Amino acid sequence: MTFEIDRRNLLQMLGLAAVSGSVLSQATIAFAADTDNVTIGWPSDVPSWDPNLRFVPDAQPLFKMVFDQPLDQSPDLKLIGNLITKWELKPDGLSMPFEIRSDVKFHNGDPMTMEDFKYTFVDRIKSGLKLDIANSWRTLTDIEILSPTSGVMKFSAPTPTAPQWLAFLGSYLVPKKYIESVGPEEFAKKPVGTGPYKLVDYQMNSRIVLERNDDYFGTKPKIKRVTIDIIKDPSARTAAIQSGQVDLTVNIPVREAERLGKTEGLTAEINPFTRLILLQMRNDKGFTDMAVRLAAHHAIDKAALSKAFYGGAAVPLSVPATPGTPGYLPDYKFAYDPELSKKLLADAGYTADKPATFTLAATNGQFPSDFDIARALVQMWQKVGLKVELQQIEYSKYFELNRGGQLPEATLYSFDNATGDPEIFSGYLMNPKMPFGAWKGPEIGDKILKLFVEPVYEKRIAGYKAVAQEAVETGANIPILQSVQTLVKKKSLNYVKYGNAWVLGSTMSWS
Amino acid sequence: MRMIATIAKLLVKRVLTAIPILLLVSALLFCILRILPVDPAAMSLPPNATVQEVEAMRTEMGLNLPLYQQYGIWLNKLFHGDIGRSIHFRQDVTSLIGSTLPATIELAVIAMMVATVFGLAGGLFLFYVRGTRAEAVMDFVSILLLSLPEFLWSLFLLLIFGVFFEVLPFTGRLSPGFERPVVTGFLLLDSLITGKISTFLNALQHMILPCLALGIALSPSLMRVLRSSLLDAYQDDYIQQARLRGLSEKRILIRHGLKNAILPTLSLMGVQFGFLFGGTLLVEIIYSYPGMGNLMVDAIRNADLPIIQGAGLTYCVAVLVISIVVDSLYLILNPKLRVR
Repeated sequence: MTFEIDRRNLLQMLGLAAVSGSVLSQATIAFAADTDNVTIGWPSDVPSWDPNLRFVPDAQPLFKMVFDQPLDQSPDLKLIGNLITKWELKPDGLSMPFEIRSDVKFHNGDPMTMEDFKYTFVDRIKSGLKLDIANSWRTLTDIEILSPTSGVMKFSAPTPTAPQWLAFLGSYLVPKKYIESVGPEEFAKKPVGTGPYKLVDYQMNSRIVLERNDDYFGTKPKIKRVTIDIIKDPSARTAAIQSGQVDLTVNIPVREAERLGKTEGLTAEINPFTRLILLQMRNDKGFTDMAVRLAAHHAIDKAALSKAFYGGAAVPLSVPATPGTPGYLPDYKFAYDPELSKKLLADAGYTADKPATFTLAATNGQFPSDFDIARALVQMWQKVGLKVELQQIEYSKYFELNRGGQLPEATLYSFDNATGDPEIFSGYLMNPKMPFGAWKGPEIGDKILKLFVEPVYEKRIAGYKAVAQEAVETGANIPILQSVQTLVKKKSLNYVKYGNAWVLGSTMSWS
Repeated sequence: MRMIATIAKLLVKRVLTAIPILLLVSALLFCILRILPVDPAAMSLPPNATVQEVEAMRTEMGLNLPLYQQYGIWLNKLFHGDIGRSIHFRQDVTSLIGSTLPATIELAVIAMMVATVFGLAGGLFLFYVRGTRAEAVMDFVSILLLSLPEFLWSLFLLLIFGVFFEVLPFTGRLSPGFERPVVTGFLLLDSLITGKISTFLNALQHMILPCLALGIALSPSLMRVLRSSLLDAYQDDYIQQARLRGLSEKRILIRHGLKNAILPTLSLMGVQFGFLFGGTLLVEIIYSYPGMGNLMVDAIRNADLPIIQGAGLTYCVAVLVISIVVDSLYLILNPKLRVR
């Protein structure tokens, strides 16, 4: 039996290959080259194009290109006007008069009105639609319309962070007239916002194509078309930027970012932002004794963790707030002192034969190097005589375990707060009535609950600074590091860096 | 006529058998997902929801009812075409599955075609080089191919053809700038229906790497089974008789050897296609391919039980359909089965 590849067959095969190659090459698009386009490799998709529906921190930069928030944040995270031009929270925190712009149009040409504000923040929520913003605006009872461009937000209880929430998760203005005419499902399919870009094509979990809104009221974006490729796998994002299939990408492994930064034509950044890596602490079980909690904290070499897992770019933290935010204490340092840990344990009666024991829970893959950090923590604790069991948990179980009081003594956790406001750092993390933190001690909890209704900004910030320090010094909270975002881009692509890791196509340009 | 009647009979029988299987799978899926230590009520609310709000949601979702009652309600809705509503996306699961299923079917079918071409060609070559030094080399190659899972192939191919040579795209289904025609959801088909040949070719380019990754991972087992089946078939008398009749080796292989040896390979292909259909998750993630695997990963990450249930049932239906098709092909290819 013989199957010969003779000259004739070979030539036929080569011919076929040549024709196929030629035909396929005609279908190849030149990878992003012109200055009107930019392609971004982004790690996650929006859950829906209804921006009020779900709170997903990583989706906020995507929403911000299509929709506008009443207030905005500057790159250094200061609150600035946007759709709202003037606002003033009254001293009792129960109302907030505000004024809006009169020159804003939705993508379909409809003008933005006060009715849209009332619809987004009051009527839509009361209509029974299951919107996540209903939870952030639960104290908002009404928006009284005073004129076509002015109104008053009215609250059932003091709401000191109302301005911050107007620039935070899910608070995007949606068009009343359009949604009422097409319905919420159709709106989610063909969203209409006031943002700098219009959505022109969307395929879930794959691609978002945005085109510049030439009627935008604010600074017109320089890039005409922004394509966002949803690339969930970090290795694929690395490959995409290296091969030039995308012009910018984020959240790739630190080592890869450092390597790509040395590649010709690319530049890499490791940017700390407003996300904490911390230990959620219980006030009972193996952590009843404050000495054990403090010994655990003094034993952590945060700088070493930063160097080992984040190229040294993650800032070691002493309080649950990130540098540059209002609740941060730049002059306060909690010492790394293993000898002090040993002394604290010895003074409390713990010995090598009778060590202090507790369990640490950690996710694996929820944020970069989470489980590796947990393993390193266990080793650091072992060195000072703490006996720790490491337990892996799913992120989706965290809230359930916490609500049921089933979290172990310590849980490695990551907490995002794009506003930088201390209520959403220390406040949320230690409010005993909220599901975020594991600490249920009344000394800290009572102070936090009072600050939740403190309308005077300066008093509120001072209060949070004091309570954050107290929480750390009593072992109610162990902040570890400020999280980092890795970003790799083509050298000729410019963008504006935000302190909360927003990456916005509307701020980009080619040089 | 007899063959058509036999196939029709088989189809009726298999469809009837499929009903209890689907019911059993749905019950198992439902119970297993309810036993999982996740709280769908909490997952459906934002993190700042209060304990009272979570409890209210639990009641609304019927999670406080006995398991059999929850299953009964779900089954009743299922019979009315309502698989449920996604917790995370807050959309009907039917529409989510409907929008992602065609991409996965397209991927699985083309990957299976790749596996079939590589598997059959490799199997024939293995058989052809039997007893030579090349057999040992080919054996080694087939074992090597077999030992690498599809996600490693995905990364390997992506690095070689996407990064090193930069000849093939590896994100999504189309390059930026191409308009996506939407008729049936099957992109290749839709681009042909709408006469967009360049879109068709571009979509095909995007499918090369994921399909190769899936196909290469499946092909070694096909190669080896085909080779073994051919070796068995060549022990039978009809091969000798064919040789005595003076038929060429090529004709003996194609008309006699392969026709008989293909049946076990076909069986294996059926099983593999079922696995392939449910096993595209990692490949879809790596290549940003917007199929059901990608949706399933989101669902698992967010404990989105309605999607997991819906996708599980869809996989079950797909496997049942595939097995019916394979059985029908068996009947067509093997006359002995028709006689029985």
